[in-house]
Amino acid sequence: MADSEEHSNSPSDRPILASGVWKVFGKRVADAMAMARDKVDQSEILAKSGCVVAVQDATFEVNWGEIFVVMGLSGSGKSTLIRCLSRLVDATAGRIVINGQDLGEMPELELRELRRHTISMVFQNYGLFPHRRVIDNVAFGLEVRGATKEDRYQKAEEMIELVGLDGWASNYPEQLSGGMKQRVGLARALAVDPEILLFDEPFSALDPLIRRDMQDELLGLQERLRCTMVFITHDFSEALKLGDRIAIMRSGAIVQVGTPEEIVAHPADDYVRDFTIDVPRHKVLSAGTVMAGVSPDMVLEGEPVAVSARLDAILPRLLTEGRPVPVVDERGERCGVLEPAVVSRYLWRQ
Amino acid sequence: MTSLTVRSAGWRRPMAYLGGAVLLLGGLIVLLPEGIGAFPPEWDIGFGPAVNEVQQWWISNRRDLGVYLFFFDPLSDSIDWLLRAFENLLMAIPWYVHVAGVGVVFGRWLGRAGGLAAGAGMLYFVALGLWEQSVQTFSLMTVAVALAVAIGVPVGILAARSDWVFRGLRPVLDSMQTLPAFVYLIPVLLFFGVARVPSLIATVIYALPPVIRLTNLGIRQVPTESLEAGLMFGSTSGQLLRKVQLPQAVPSILAGVNQTIMMALSIVVIAAMIGAGGLGQEVLLALRHQEVGRAVEAGMAIVLMAVMLDRFSHSLVGQGRMGGAHHTEGLRYRYWWVAGGVLAALAIAGWTIGWTDYPTALQFSYAAPIDGAVDWARDNLYQLGNLPVGTGPFSDFLTTYGTRPMRLYLSEEAWPVVVLFFGFVAWWASGKKLLLGSVVGTVVIGLLGMWTLTMDTLSQTVVAVLMAIVIGLPLGVAASRRDWLERGMRPVLDTLQTIPSFCFLVPVVILFNVGRIPGIIASVLYAIPPVIRLTNLGIRSVDSEIVEASESFGVTRRQKLWKIQLPLAMPTVLAGINQTVMLVLAMVVIAGLVGGAGLGLEAVKGLARSDTGLGFEAGASIVILAMILDRITQGWAARFQPPSSDRG
Repeated sequence: MADSEEHSNSPSDRPILASGVWKVFGKRVADAMAMARDKVDQSEILAKSGCVVAVQDATFEVNWGEIFVVMGLSGSGKSTLIRCLSRLVDATAGRIVINGQDLGEMPELELRELRRHTISMVFQNYGLFPHRRVIDNVAFGLEVRGATKEDRYQKAEEMIELVGLDGWASNYPEQLSGGMKQRVGLARALAVDPEILLFDEPFSALDPLIRRDMQDELLGLQERLRCTMVFITHDFSEALKLGDRIAIMRSGAIVQVGTPEEIVAHPADDYVRDFTIDVPRHKVLSAGTVMAGVSPDMVLEGEPVAVSARLDAILPRLLTEGRPVPVVDERGERCGVLEPAVVSRYLWRQ
Repeated sequence: MTSLTVRSAGWRRPMAYLGGAVLLLGGLIVLLPEGIGAFPPEWDIGFGPAVNEVQQWWISNRRDLGVYLFFFDPLSDSIDWLLRAFENLLMAIPWYVHVAGVGVVFGRWLGRAGGLAAGAGMLYFVALGLWEQSVQTFSLMTVAVALAVAIGVPVGILAARSDWVFRGLRPVLDSMQTLPAFVYLIPVLLFFGVARVPSLIATVIYALPPVIRLTNLGIRQVPTESLEAGLMFGSTSGQLLRKVQLPQAVPSILAGVNQTIMMALSIVVIAAMIGAGGLGQEVLLALRHQEVGRAVEAGMAIVLMAVMLDRFSHSLVGQGRMGGAHHTEGLRYRYWWVAGGVLAALAIAGWTIGWTDYPTALQFSYAAPIDGAVDWARDNLYQLGNLPVGTGPFSDFLTTYGTRPMRLYLSEEAWPVVVLFFGFVAWWASGKKLLLGSVVGTVVIGLLGMWTLTMDTLSQTVVAVLMAIVIGLPLGVAASRRDWLERGMRPVLDTLQTIPSFCFLVPVVILFNVGRIPGIIASVLYAIPPVIRLTNLGIRSVDSEIVEASESFGVTRRQKLWKIQLPLAMPTVLAGINQTVMLVLAMVVIAGLVGGAGLGLEAVKGLARSDTGLGFEAGASIVILAMILDRITQGWAARFQPPSSDRG
């Protein structure tokens, strides 16, 4: 598993780099791309060229050990994008670099090795093999790699325990609930010790409560494993909860990339703003984002708060005291001030 | 789109077209000069004699031909060897070991009652003195099915992996399933002559399509995510096939094997015409000698074998689906070891004391009472007293008002009218391509010199199809409304569909004597299950929400049926009618054996007199007729398909 300490996040050493990635389904690719560049509407492109532009000009990078969430509504191209990252779908144009290797130019054999050792994927409808027991599902990646039965069963047992399915190893997928199935999917993906994990809306088929459990579990796992994850979802609150950074997609294009806080505080356009309307902002925004500038000679009373402190921890105090609260940076130096009027503007208007 | 569009596309415009067709026909009949009648016989291109010449040349030169020396002969010899070896093996084992063995297998898979019934079924073969014939038929079947699977599964895999292969294969498979079994015999006859191996080859060819189709389907139906998961772990394409695709396709493949077995069994009697021997031969001889009792005995043996093999392969499908994982391994094998041991001991004991034959004293036959009943039926049911009731008057009625006028009209009326009418219906059902195809097809039939015979067969087909629809559609509607009726009808329909087509001829000949009418009645019986089944299914699978929506508007039952259920069930119903048409045609052809005349009789003559040319001409006409009817009914069904809204 990847250890973030070993990697610098210099451009050449990022686990995933995508630049100008396009995916067009259909025959008249060039026409469709030209029309998409001219901002022609998707349905018009389809009518005129018979092509569907699933991903257009996507450029982003993913850092070591982060959860990179791609959020978009259905049909926004996010599933196609994640399939391009593993070449389940060949990109029409653009470059995708995984661990410094160009994915598009990779020969079949290397691609297979990459999938066997480096990348793993979890699927929306679990993608389990119905004819294999849980343990054989989990051991599948090791099996195709050529591991001995003993080795792979040992590793699979560990993984089954890791996801909390002890005792279910010899059941068939049909006999499990949705949440348990996805745990199997997760265990199967983890069993090959991947550096990069791709999640294609893994929790969207689950009931809300189970979904929350699984999200917490994923965060817990990430604490321990620290691999690089790309996570697709159509649920904005899921994106906020899981994502270190979020890319928002709309009709195939990436509209904005940023931390949850950046996106909530400064949505790039009305489309993104729409998503942020129902977000409980005090849980997302931190003092650093909503503070006002401060002049060195200004006198402020009271205990200062840290730049990274979330608003929900500060709000009670701000409301009861009714006066500005100083903010300090990591070194303890004063860098700003929370003005009740400014804070309320962030929380309720925008 | 709304059901309104479906209705108008499906119902109203066709009515206008039909009106147009009637006007067109009337106009043509009036306008065409008097002298034009049936297709001019002098236009016969003499295809048959040419085929005979080829065959003659073939027969006299086959000793010198490389394909025979190095391919056909060794192939034929090795198949023959395989067949004989298997037969000898089965014959060497004492009969009671067979009875017990089959009982044990069925008992394990289908419960005690199933085991007992299967044992009793086996006893039937022995007790009626049909053991050797049964073993012959069974061996031929087994070898044929094994070959079909050995060829079909790899071909199916290829088709699943390459769209290109699939696209090439599909029309071939489609037409293979369309053709009446008869047609396969003729080319096989040309190349191999009359013997067991050619009949086996015909059986293999006939039974092949389902395995190929369902292997392909099974592999293609593996969910995309499952495939992607396989790929994402870096499977090679071989690993993907072995570990992901094939295991998930097993239930489908086994279903294909089941269908293949049933197809193979269904041509047992027909294959006997070119020397398959066995039970089929028995039926054929008995029919030829008008020994109905004996024919029934052997026919029942075929039905029994069909039912047993069907149950057997069905439970095989079940076993495949379960993966057999729910038994504890040890227990599972112990049962088979113990059973195998006991059976082996029984066999050895039998060999040592030399008691392997079924005692003649326990032989059993019920042919005599059946023959008696047949005589009684012939004398008494034909006409009840002096009343115009009975099979005779019924048969006369059908002849006078149904088949004869239609036959005379079709075969003696101006042939261009018929060609154009076909073309028109084809165009209406499907489009220009089919219009062209059916015009060319019907003209070719004329050029083959088969015009009159084809029109004879066609008229019988039309009458039988109409009868099947008139009876079957209301039954299907009724079954869709009453669960008890559906449940009660299911075993009857199952049986009708399992019985080899040939066996229908026996009872109808008893009741209706020989001629065209018994063939039509047999066709109706044979072909009615799909209409009933699919009407029932179509209505039952109309989305319950739609039905509830209509009920919320306060529809009557009749309105619900006519405005909601039937229109939405139409594609399914028409699929049933398509199957029925094809089954009727197949049966009408076979009915040539009991005096049904038409193309079937001609094909039989060709087979019997080794007049391969005649057989070819009749066979080709059957093929053309079958294809046209199939495409027309399919096109018709497609018109009712609601436009699909998914864009992928």
